[in-house]
Amino acid sequence: MRVWDTSHLLDTVPAGKQAAEHVHDYTDSEANRKRIRHHFRQLQTRLVLGLLLGFLLPNALLTAYFHFQFTHTLKNSALLNLEAVAENQKNTIDLYLQERVVNLFNLFHSREFSLQPNQESMDSYLQSLKRFNDGFIDVGFFNARGIQIGYAGPHPQLRGRDYSDQPWFKELRAGSRNYLISDLYTGLRNIPHFTIAVRQVFDGTPYSMRATLDPDKLYVFLRAISHGKEVETTLVNARGQYQVVDPARSPFPASSSYVPPGSPAAGVEEIELDERATLVAYTWLKETPWALLVMQPASVAQSGMYRTRLVLTISLAAISLLVSLVIFLTIRKVVADARRMAEKGQQLQEMLAHASKLASIGELAAGVAHEINNPLAIIMATSGVIRDMLNPEFDLDHSPEAICKELSTIDTAATRAKGITKRLQEMGKARMPVSVQCDLNALTAEVLERLQRVEFKGKHLEVVTRFAADLPQILAEPEPLRQVVGNILVNAADAIADKGTITVSTAMQDGMVSLTIADTGRGIPAGDLQRIFNPFFTTKGGGRGTGLGLSIAASIVKYLGGTIKVNSIPGAGSSFTVLLPVK
Amino acid sequence: MEKPKKCKVLLVDDEDIFREATARQLAVRGFAVQTANCGEAALELVRNDPPEVVVLDQEMPGMHGSETFINIKRINPLVEVIMLTGNTSVDNAIHLMQQGTFDYLMKPINIDELLYKIEDAHTRKQLNEKKRPDNAA
Repeated sequence: MRVWDTSHLLDTVPAGKQAAEHVHDYTDSEANRKRIRHHFRQLQTRLVLGLLLGFLLPNALLTAYFHFQFTHTLKNSALLNLEAVAENQKNTIDLYLQERVVNLFNLFHSREFSLQPNQESMDSYLQSLKRFNDGFIDVGFFNARGIQIGYAGPHPQLRGRDYSDQPWFKELRAGSRNYLISDLYTGLRNIPHFTIAVRQVFDGTPYSMRATLDPDKLYVFLRAISHGKEVETTLVNARGQYQVVDPARSPFPASSSYVPPGSPAAGVEEIELDERATLVAYTWLKETPWALLVMQPASVAQSGMYRTRLVLTISLAAISLLVSLVIFLTIRKVVADARRMAEKGQQLQEMLAHASKLASIGELAAGVAHEINNPLAIIMATSGVIRDMLNPEFDLDHSPEAICKELSTIDTAATRAKGITKRLQEMGKARMPVSVQCDLNALTAEVLERLQRVEFKGKHLEVVTRFAADLPQILAEPEPLRQVVGNILVNAADAIADKGTITVSTAMQDGMVSLTIADTGRGIPAGDLQRIFNPFFTTKGGGRGTGLGLSIAASIVKYLGGTIKVNSIPGAGSSFTVLLPVK
Repeated sequence: MEKPKKCKVLLVDDEDIFREATARQLAVRGFAVQTANCGEAALELVRNDPPEVVVLDQEMPGMHGSETFINIKRINPLVEVIMLTGNTSVDNAIHLMQQGTFDYLMKPINIDELLYKIEDAHTRKQLNEKKRPDNAA
C-alpha cells in the first residue's frame, strides 16, 4: 500500500494552486504585512518590557535600598555626632563646676580663714574667688544655725540673715555630700542666681561657706564652649526648667518643652520642636541634677547628607534614563531593521508567488488548449467526413441516417468541450471566499443523496456512512467543499466497475476534522498515485473524465488549510482522507 | 477523383473518433491508410509493414509521441513523420523540427492542409531514397 499526501504534491501542481489562491492572495499580502507589523510591534513591546523588568526594576530596587541605607546611616551619624558634642560639653561644664566647688573649699584652708570672719576677711575671700572666676557674685559664711555671720558682695543687707529655712541650706545640712550646687533661683535677693555651698566641720560644729554665681556668666561660658551651625546648648533641671538665662528666651523662670528622661544618663533623639524637626542630645551632669541639652535643627544637621543624597539620586536617575534611552533606541532600530528585512522577504515571496502564478496560467492555458483542441479536432474531422459524404466525387453513403450518425459524433465532441469549459468555470467560482460554519456530516450526506439520485443510478453500489456524532463545525465555503466531496465520491463510484461498496466516514483526527471516502474499486496503480492530483490527468476513457476533479479538490482543500491523503491497493480499492482544520 | 502516386500513410492517435474520421477522409482521397491507437502499435506496423508517411499525435498516454517518433526513426530513418500537436507553443514547434520531424500540424487540423503536408513529405521521402538508395530499408 502506498500513501500519498497532497500537501507536497500541490506545490508541484501550479495549475491547481493557482486556482485556489487567486482571490485569496490579494487580501493575503495585506494581511501578511499586517501580521508582520503586529509581530514586530509585539516583539518591540516585549523587549522594552524586558528592559524595564530586567534593568530598571533591579536598578530602582537597588537605588531605593541604597537611598534607605544611606539616609539611615547618615541620620544615625548626625545623632551620634550631636551626642558626642553633648558628652564633650558636659565634661567641660562638670569640670567648671568642680573647679568652682574647689575654689570655695580652698577658702577654709586660706591663711585669712577664721570661724568669726570680719568684713575684711570676707572681702578678701570674695577677691580671691573672683581671681579664679569672674562668675562669683558674692560669698557668705554661715554658722551651724544657718545665720550668715559673714558676707561680702553687692547685697550687704543679707548679712546676719537666717538661712536655715532656705532649701539649699537644708539640703546641704541633710545631704551626705559636703558640697551642693543649687538650681537657679531668685532667693532672698530676688534676682536669678545659683548657689554653690560647701560644709566643713570645725571641732564638731558644722560651718558652711556659700557663694552665688552669676547665671549670665554660665551662659557666656556655655556659648563659648558650644560650636556648630545653629547648635543651641542649654542646661535644664529634672523638671525641664532652664538653669541658664538665655536673653533670647522668656525671662526666668522658664521651662524647656523637652524634658530629658532620667535614664539612661545620656541619649539623643529626633523631636518636633516649635514645629520643626530637631535633633536633641542630652546628658546628665555629674555634679548637679542638671541635664545638658544640645539641639540642632534636623534640616541643618542633615543638610550635607540631603545634598549628597540629592546629587546621587539625580545622577542615578539620569544614568538610568540615559541607559534606558540608549537601549530603547537600539531595540527600536534593531526591530525596525528586522521588520524591514521580514517585509522585504514577504515582498519577495509575494513576487515569487505572482511569478509562479503567471507561469501557472501559462501552463493552464496550454493544458486547456490541448484538452479543447482534441474535441475540436474530432468535430473538424467529422465535419470533413460529412463533407466527403456529400461530395458526389467520392460516391459515399450520404443517407440522412449516415449523416445524422456523424452529426451526433460532432455533438458528443462539442458536449465534451463544453464540459471542460464548465469545469474550468467551476474552478473559478471555487474561489469566492464566503466562509460559514459548516457541518461536514450534513454537507456530505446532502452531496451523497444528490449523487445517489442521479450519478450512482444504474450501478450496484452499497453506500455505508459512519458519521462521527459530535463532530465540530468547520469554517469553510460550502460550495467548494461540496465539490471536494462530490468529486471524490464520483471517482469512488467510477472506480467500481459494477458492484461494490463506498464507505463514507467522518472523525476527529489530531485536532482536525477528517472525512474518509473508501471504495472497493479497482485501485490506483503505484505509478499513477503521484499524478492523480495533476490537472488533466485522467484514466477515464472515452472522454468521460476531464482530469480536473481531484486537481480542483486538492486546490480547494489546500485553500481551506487542509490536506488530502490517499491510500490505495491496486485491485482492492482506494481511500481518500480529507483533513480539514477546525476554525 | 484520382491522383497519381498516392502513398501509404500511418495515422497514430489515441482519440478513436478523430483517428477513424481522419482515416476515412484520407482513404476516400486514395491514400492507403493504416491506423494505430498508441505508440507501441505504431512501431509494430513500422517494423512489419513500413508506411511512407506517419501522421503522429504528440500527446498520447503510454509511449509519448516524441518518444514514438524517435523509435520510428531508429527503425526506419527514411519514414517521414508529421506531428500533430495540441500544444501551441513556438518552443515546442522548434523542438519538433530540430528532432527531425518533417513538419507539424496544430489540432484541430484542416484536412486539405494535412493532404499537402503528406504529399510534401512523400515527395521528400522519394528524393531521399534516390539520394541514398543503399540506405533505403
